[in-house]
Amino acid sequence: MSMDFSPLEQMTVVMARDLADGELGAAGAAALVPMAAIALAREMHAPNLTVGGEMFFNPVAGHLYPSMLDDRALGRCEASETFIELFGHSHHGLDFFFHSGLQIDRYGNINLHHVGGSLHAPKMRGPGAANLSYCHTSTRFYICPTVHNVRNFVDTVDFITIPGNMSGPDSKAAAGLVNEGPRLVVTPRAVMDFDPETLRLRLKSVHCGNSIKDVLDNTGFTPDVPENTGRTPPPTADELAVLRGKIDPSGALRA
Amino acid sequence: MTRSTKTIGLKEAAARAAAALKERPEICLGGLFKQSRPVALVRALLATGADGLHVYSSPGAGYDVDLMIAAGAINEVFVPGVTLENRLCPNFRTAVETQQIKAHALDALTVVGGLMASAHGVPFQPIAALKGSDVLKHNPLITPFDCPLTGQPLYAVPPIRPRVTLLHAQEADRWGNIRHLSTMVYADQLMARASDMVIVSVDRLVDDDVVLDDPRSVTIPAHYVDAVVEVPYGAHPTASFPNYAMDEEHIDAYADLGDAARRGDGAGLAAYLEQHVTSAPDQTQYLHNIGEARLSELQAEALAL
Repeated sequence: MSMDFSPLEQMTVVMARDLADGELGAAGAAALVPMAAIALAREMHAPNLTVGGEMFFNPVAGHLYPSMLDDRALGRCEASETFIELFGHSHHGLDFFFHSGLQIDRYGNINLHHVGGSLHAPKMRGPGAANLSYCHTSTRFYICPTVHNVRNFVDTVDFITIPGNMSGPDSKAAAGLVNEGPRLVVTPRAVMDFDPETLRLRLKSVHCGNSIKDVLDNTGFTPDVPENTGRTPPPTADELAVLRGKIDPSGALRA
Repeated sequence: MTRSTKTIGLKEAAARAAAALKERPEICLGGLFKQSRPVALVRALLATGADGLHVYSSPGAGYDVDLMIAAGAINEVFVPGVTLENRLCPNFRTAVETQQIKAHALDALTVVGGLMASAHGVPFQPIAALKGSDVLKHNPLITPFDCPLTGQPLYAVPPIRPRVTLLHAQEADRWGNIRHLSTMVYADQLMARASDMVIVSVDRLVDDDVVLDDPRSVTIPAHYVDAVVEVPYGAHPTASFPNYAMDEEHIDAYADLGDAARRGDGAGLAAYLEQHVTSAPDQTQYLHNIGEARLSELQAEALAL
C-alpha cells in the first residue's frame, strides 16, 4: 500500500490530536516530532496552547530543529526563563510532556542510562536524562521513539530512568506516582496505550503500511491486542497542508 | 587608587583556573548542550594538562565534556545528560564502559537545587519532585528526609560549590559585567552565584556606556565575576547566538573520530587533540585552523534567524 505521508508525519498528527486548547506543555532535547505535534495542534485546534516549561514561551520557529533547547528552534519567542524557573515548573508540573529512550518496556518505563552490565560497569552507556520530574508531575506524557524494533521495545528495562507505570498499579502507587503518567506510545509503526486495570501496554492502532504481525514481530514482548485494534487514522489533507506548508517546509519529518 | 579591570588573556585565565582546580577539582561549565559553552577556555585549560577533574554543568552537556574526557582530564562526571543530541558522546561512552571514569546518575533538579543552595547560602535545597526513577537509588548527592512541616517525603541536596566556573557570553565591559544576548541564559546566572571563582569568555568587550545605558540587560553583575576574557568565537564549535550558530559539521566530524577510536583506530582523534587542544591554545591559530569561510557561514546562519 503506498503512502503519501511519512511515518513521522503520522506520529505527529496522532499526538497533535491529543493535545487540547489551553494546555501548557513542552518537549526537551531530541524532540523533532513532539515539536511538530505541538505546532500542529496550535495551528489546527489549540491556538491557546502555551508552549512553556523548558525555559521559553511560545517559540515561533521558521522550520523544525532536532532539539527544542536550541536558539534556532526558538526562532523568536515571547519570553525566556532559566533553570531557576525550570526548577519550579518541574515541581508544579505541566499538562503534557514527551519522552523517548534506549529501551521502553511493557509498563512504559524508559531507560536512558545503560544497556547490559551495571550503572558503573555498563555494557553500553546511554546519555542519561536531565528532567526526571515532568513524567510524574505533569498530567500525562507521551512516549514517542522514532524507531520501533525488538531492541528498543523490551519486556523489562535494564534501568528505570523515566518511570512509567513501574510494574503495575501497586508499585506505581507505592512509588508515589499519582498522575496518569504515560498515556500513549506512538511509534513509526503503531499507537499503543495502557490497559487501565494492569497498566500494561496494549496495541491501539496500526499505521498504514504495517500489519499487526509487523508490529508484534518488532516488539520484544507480546503486548495485548484488543479485538478493536484498528488502523491509525491517517493525516488529513488539511493536517498535511499545515504541517508541510507552515511547520515543516524543509521536510525534516520526511527525511 | 583606580578601579581594577577584570580583563585578562586566555592563557592567564587557564593558569588561574588550573591552579584553583589543583586545590579542589570541581569545575562547572556554563551554557547548555551546543549553546554558549566556554569551549576556548576549556581548550586552554586542557592545554595546561589539567586532570582529575569532577565536572558539573547545567543539566545537559555534550561536545566539551566529551573533549575533556578524550584529553584525559576528567575522573568523575556530575552532569545528568551527556549527549550530542543527534548522536551519543563517543569518548564519554568509551570511558564509562571501560570504567576509566565514573558518570554519576543524576537529574536536573539535583544539580540545579545544589547550585541554588550554594547561591542562596543555605545548607540544603529540598526537592519534592523525584519519584520512581532508579536514578534515586544511585544519585550520590541526595538524602531522603521527611518535611518537618508536612511530613511529606523529600530529598535534600547540599550546596554544589564549584571551585571554578567557566562561562561564555556575548558581551562584557572591562569591569566584568556580563551581557547574554542569546534567547536563553541557561543556568549561567545561578552558577556565577554558586561558585568560588568565575571566569567568563565573551565574544567582544563593550564600552562602559553600553552597560550603563541598559543595566537591566546585564545578566551577571561584575560582583560575581573574577575575570573576563575577550575571545572571538570563544564558544566554537558550540553556538553563541545571535553572533554565530553551532558548527554541527565540526562536532559531527569530531564524533566520527571518537567512534573510530571506539573501533580501535585512535589516530584521527589523537591528531584532532594535537591540532585543536595541545598545540593550538591560541585562539587566533585555532580560528585560522577552522577557516574564515566556515566562520562566516556560522555567523550568517545566526544572523538569518
